Amino acid sequence: MGIPLVKAFRLATRDYLHEWQMSFCFVIALAAVLGPMMVLFGLKFGIVGAMVDQLIEDPRNREIRPVSSGRYDRGWLETVGARPDVSFLVPRTRSIAATIELSSEGSARTVRAELIPSAQGDPLLPPGELPEGVTRVVLSHSIAEKLQVGAGETLNGSLVRQFRGDKERVHLPLTVAAVAPAQAFSRDGAFVSVTLLETLEDFRDGRAVPSMGWGGDQGGSNRTYPSFRLYARSIHDVAGLRDAFTDLGVDVHTHAADIERVKQMNRNLTAIYWAIAVIGLFGFSLSLGANLWANVDRKRKELSILRLVGFRTMDIAWFPMVQALYTGVLGWALALGLYQAVARIINAMMASSRSVGCCRTITR
Amino acid sequence: MYHLRDVVKTREAEGVAFRLRVPSLQIAMGEKIALTGESGCGKSTLLDMLAFLLKPSDTGAFCFRPETDIEPVDVDAYWKAGKLNQLGDLRKRHLGYVIQTGGLLPYLTVRENMNLCRRVLGLKPDGTVEHLAAELGIADHLNKLPDALSTGERQRVAIGRALAHKPTIVIADEPTASLDPYAAQKIMSHFIGLVEELNITVILASHAWRYIKKLGLRQLNHRTVRSADTNLTETIVSG
Repeated sequence: MGIPLVKAFRLATRDYLHEWQMSFCFVIALAAVLGPMMVLFGLKFGIVGAMVDQLIEDPRNREIRPVSSGRYDRGWLETVGARPDVSFLVPRTRSIAATIELSSEGSARTVRAELIPSAQGDPLLPPGELPEGVTRVVLSHSIAEKLQVGAGETLNGSLVRQFRGDKERVHLPLTVAAVAPAQAFSRDGAFVSVTLLETLEDFRDGRAVPSMGWGGDQGGSNRTYPSFRLYARSIHDVAGLRDAFTDLGVDVHTHAADIERVKQMNRNLTAIYWAIAVIGLFGFSLSLGANLWANVDRKRKELSILRLVGFRTMDIAWFPMVQALYTGVLGWALALGLYQAVARIINAMMASSRSVGCCRTITR
Repeated sequence: MYHLRDVVKTREAEGVAFRLRVPSLQIAMGEKIALTGESGCGKSTLLDMLAFLLKPSDTGAFCFRPETDIEPVDVDAYWKAGKLNQLGDLRKRHLGYVIQTGGLLPYLTVRENMNLCRRVLGLKPDGTVEHLAAELGIADHLNKLPDALSTGERQRVAIGRALAHKPTIVIADEPTASLDPYAAQKIMSHFIGLVEELNITVILASHAWRYIKKLGLRQLNHRTVRSADTNLTETIVSG
């Protein structure tokens, strides 16, 4: 006939409550070990996490730009674009041809805009806000302000070429598909389709563009591009892609060094954190173990009385374990409470200088 | 009730050995046994063995028969087979134990302390605890914690606890040693009176033989011998 464990549990609980001062001391001792560890944990995750998030969230860190211009044909670009570590790739036309003068009805100004080739999946643009065909463009924030236009409004684009000794100017009506977020492009610019860029380049080069009714020479069919806009799938793919381009003989500019620096710092801090965590956990176990031991030793007589009235050894073994469990759970809870309070203070102190919380709860 | 033959318990510490030898011991049901002698002579050792708390070093025979209508239990065989839980169950069902310093659980009230053995056995409240408390003169203290009681009162609670589940045998190890002689005598007479009323076998260790004798207890013979080189103290108990 075994004594239900419930009785041992109930007695252990009664004892724990009866000795609340002692229990409280054990709980505090435990929280004193755990609390600072949690704060360190929070700081590590907060600071490094924010840096990594910034790296990941900002697509510019994933951009890979050729240093100098080359001659890339469609086939080559398609091969590169098909790589699994490439998330976005569009060709660039010659930058001298990639500008246009824009004006609107709402503003007297005429602004020269850089044209950025864009397409489906452009990481700089919110999904759904895409340039299309030769008429729909996405304006940068600054130029939209200067021209005082918003989505759905129309613009007048104009460009000039020197053709057979004469200066020729053409106009084309454009529609604002959307205004890009300010951080997408800081200068005066417009995201346009590759088709529009090719059309403008053809015009500037003196070739005929029948679809627009622009006359000129008949051009060759083999178009090459001097450059491209490329974004890696993730920041972790940047270094690999850089090496791949170097192997192909294309020198590229990347943020790989910045990424590597942050990743290195993350690795170092993680290692330091783990060292501290292991020491802390060791201290936690030691504290809990010492508490268990001290309790068994202190209560040797009471435990022997339980044995005397017929409690089995296993039931009695539960007695200190139940109490250690209480201490563990309460100590943990108290440490968590302290941590939350400290995290709030630290975040409040840092709020003025940083946009992201330094201390993050473990649940994040 | 108890049948012991050639039971030996040897203890050794820092080169000094102590041996308790029981060539033969028979205790019948309803008997009141007294075990006297100065402290350190092995009284507690014998009581602990009789309560199945201490394993004998060597055993000729050790049988326990709590009731006449059941077969005797071979305690030695239980020890040898490591059946500690079965020994615990025997203790729980048939034994009451009063220790020298009361041994009350400080976090339980007097009532809960007295009820402890009954609770462990799953017995329902039937007024026994209240009756015993009244008999022992502690009825007013039932809802107090042991800390609020005097030493004498605590000892009465301990006696009440040992009797509340109506065991077949009560073992008491110097239950009045920490009390003044007057209080000791009073409590002891109460104790023996209750034991007789409930028809419980009692084994009592005490160093105060003078008034124990008056209560009509049978004294176990014992003698202590010290070996020539004084490294071994041996107590021989029989009865």
